[in-house]
Amino acid sequence: MAQSKVKRVFLEDLGSGNPVFAQVLGICSTLAVTNVLKNTVVMCAGLVFTTALSNLTVSAMRNVMPGRIRMMVETLIIASYVIIVDIVLRAYLPDVSRQLGPYVGLIITNCIIMGRAEAFALNNPPGLSFIDGIASGLGYSYVLMAIAVLRELLGSGTIWGYRVLWESWTNWSIMVMAPGAFFMLAIFIWIVKGSSKREKK
Amino acid sequence: MSKEGTFKRRIFPVLFMLIVTLVFISITTIIYTLSKDTIASNEALRSRESILYAAGIPVPGSGQETDRIYGERVEEVTDDKGNIQYYRVKGENSGDVKNIVIITRGPGLWGEITAAIGYDVSGKTISGIEIIDQNETPGLGGRIGENWFKEQFRGKHSPLSLVGEQAAAGPNEIQAITGASYSSKAIQEIVNRASTEAQGIIK
Repeated sequence: MAQSKVKRVFLEDLGSGNPVFAQVLGICSTLAVTNVLKNTVVMCAGLVFTTALSNLTVSAMRNVMPGRIRMMVETLIIASYVIIVDIVLRAYLPDVSRQLGPYVGLIITNCIIMGRAEAFALNNPPGLSFIDGIASGLGYSYVLMAIAVLRELLGSGTIWGYRVLWESWTNWSIMVMAPGAFFMLAIFIWIVKGSSKREKK
Repeated sequence: MSKEGTFKRRIFPVLFMLIVTLVFISITTIIYTLSKDTIASNEALRSRESILYAAGIPVPGSGQETDRIYGERVEEVTDDKGNIQYYRVKGENSGDVKNIVIITRGPGLWGEITAAIGYDVSGKTISGIEIIDQNETPGLGGRIGENWFKEQFRGKHSPLSLVGEQAAAGPNEIQAITGASYSSKAIQEIVNRASTEAQGIIK
């Protein structure tokens, strides 16, 4: 019974309840960090870590936390975890940290984390909330990575910084810029929604 | 209103917030304190590597080797107050100063750009530039840190001008980054300003 609930929560966050293409949350970072795959992966790892642990913490405190100040507490918890991610990156992955620059700090403003804390962690036990955080983070991650692979490939001719396309390939500069992300995301949502509608019929 | 009601409604939330804040700040402070030295040594190494790169010296892969070469060949020149003004870099075998390197800052698109800019002893020819710190858009302005962009500066004289990324660059022209005209211009201005500074030092 409990296992089926975990499974349901997990699959829902990846599919029908996906934070990016179903709830359309976290779009800001979807647009900002998907032009180079390496940055996307680090960003996603940071987000999975933060969402899972903030969900766990908020859920553990849900019965003692006064309702009126819950958002302040949630923001504080989220910010603390993000600062930890930032410090760890600066200490152990300085190159990546330098490349991501301000984007790590901006994980704090990612709506998915606050959204899951409010919508899930406040009403569910810590263990399940932790799973939900991981699943939401992964649901966000695979969409971003799919977009990042295509944007980096078409925009720079590389994947993970390695040259994949032939030398004479003309880079589609628009793919590296923000409008490219809008196009890719829209096409992604179109394909996913289109195919899920067809299945229902 | 009973006393208990006041406590629960007004005082408890404040106390709760205070305690949660204290706990989380303590945790982040402990983690910061534990990794402070690693972060500082990363940054120091980064700035040493940048100075070597700007002076046209190949940067070794290991931190120890970088420290050794830096110790042998780089001399820090300070002003009256003890702040580092610029760096003198000696030749490989002779004790003569071959290059000078300036660390300079300027505004970028999102934040400050810090760069090391090297010159030969005339203070006119650029021996290299390295971006130490920048917050430009990854994939666009962030490409100022890429090798092809930095390598273009070697052997050129200020004032530099910009041409398109696909265009052929003339003697004192730099290919700008497509889609990042502001960041390219920021670097152009930083380098041109540093050149004036370098010539002031040489005098």
